[in-house]
Amino acid sequence: MSAPREKKKGGGLISRLAKEKKTEKNQNYITEEELLQKDNISPEDVLKLPKVTENYLCEPEANVFQIDFTRFKIRDMDSGTVLFEIAKPPPSEDDEPDAEAEDIDPNAGRFVRYQFTPQFLKLRTVGATVEFTVGDKPVSQFRMIERHYFRERLLKSFDFNFGFCIPNSKNTCEHIYEFPELAPDQIQEMIDHPYETKSDSFYFVDNNLIMHNKADYAYNGGIMQQ
Amino acid sequence: MGLLTILKKMKQKEKEVRLLMLGLDNAGKTTILKKFNGEDINTISPTLGFNIKTLEHRGFKLNVWDVGGQKSLRSYWRNYYESTDGLIWVVDSADKRRLDDCKKEMQALLLEERLAGATLLVFANKQDLPGALPAQQIREVLELDNITTHHWLIQGCSAVTGENLLQGMDWIIDDISSRIFTMD
Repeated sequence: MSAPREKKKGGGLISRLAKEKKTEKNQNYITEEELLQKDNISPEDVLKLPKVTENYLCEPEANVFQIDFTRFKIRDMDSGTVLFEIAKPPPSEDDEPDAEAEDIDPNAGRFVRYQFTPQFLKLRTVGATVEFTVGDKPVSQFRMIERHYFRERLLKSFDFNFGFCIPNSKNTCEHIYEFPELAPDQIQEMIDHPYETKSDSFYFVDNNLIMHNKADYAYNGGIMQQ
Repeated sequence: MGLLTILKKMKQKEKEVRLLMLGLDNAGKTTILKKFNGEDINTISPTLGFNIKTLEHRGFKLNVWDVGGQKSLRSYWRNYYESTDGLIWVVDSADKRRLDDCKKEMQALLLEERLAGATLLVFANKQDLPGALPAQQIREVLELDNITTHHWLIQGCSAVTGENLLQGMDWIIDDISSRIFTMD
């Protein structure tokens, strides 16, 4: 249930949390190649990845529960401004799947490219919302792990267990968090190297990977390119 | 930014707190959640699943689950009881016809073993409506004074104006924190 936390604070730790933390500390790294050999990839596996993956670690077909992400939103909690919002239009009756299916890249829906201005890296508290729908089967244990990297440095690892999802439901989750503190020279590097900040989003049902999405990020919006 | 203010209070007790918000449909659960977090409340539609807010602040975590209250969804509520520290029961104080229904559903929750340790906050919502019953009357109808198994408080509030939302949340977090502290 609980996510690994980066910072250790003093005081009375609940032993359950302490144990989880210990396990996390002692784990070894695992490579993408090793994971691709496995039949089932677990949350513990991806938490050992030292960097963003080259490939998707599962096929789109692995999503047998028809979990569909329909909205993403990012807002600045300090000003209340919505910085980014994208919603998927509901499937229309008149779609002609046959005519379009041939040129569709099977990975098209799994990758998002974000372009932000440098101001984005100066935000203090942000709220990131996802909205998703679930197919007609109940989902017993739905968990997401999202790992953000700049080059090979892990900036943030977010781990959340949604638990049970009601069949045919529409659900939302807003994660409100403080932006990782970055040194000014790191911020500059991230601005100077668009799309080298990347993330992997892994989704599990009953501890098996069923979806893998990727994103990359640029923070040089509004700055003239050479 | 309401939840963040609350979360900052949890400082000394490193812990993940889970709040579960339930009530009949149209009680105002999602509106409370959104209003409290500074979101637009003009376009809220019935919740056909859950809405979660998860907050992290210096290693503290507060997770609030708002699960849809329609009759067809209530049989799924049980899937969300596990590890709940606080139960927020939201009442539409102006819906007098369904208060009996509301009482039955709430009383049933109090018998749930997995909610046995949870603090109960009752939000007597919609106090801004002219026909709303005051919190004192809701307290009598729901027979809250007979509850001996849970710490409880009833708080009259309005999700639309935001009145008393912070007071209620403040109380439930305080109550949970003091229990956790005692257990340590």
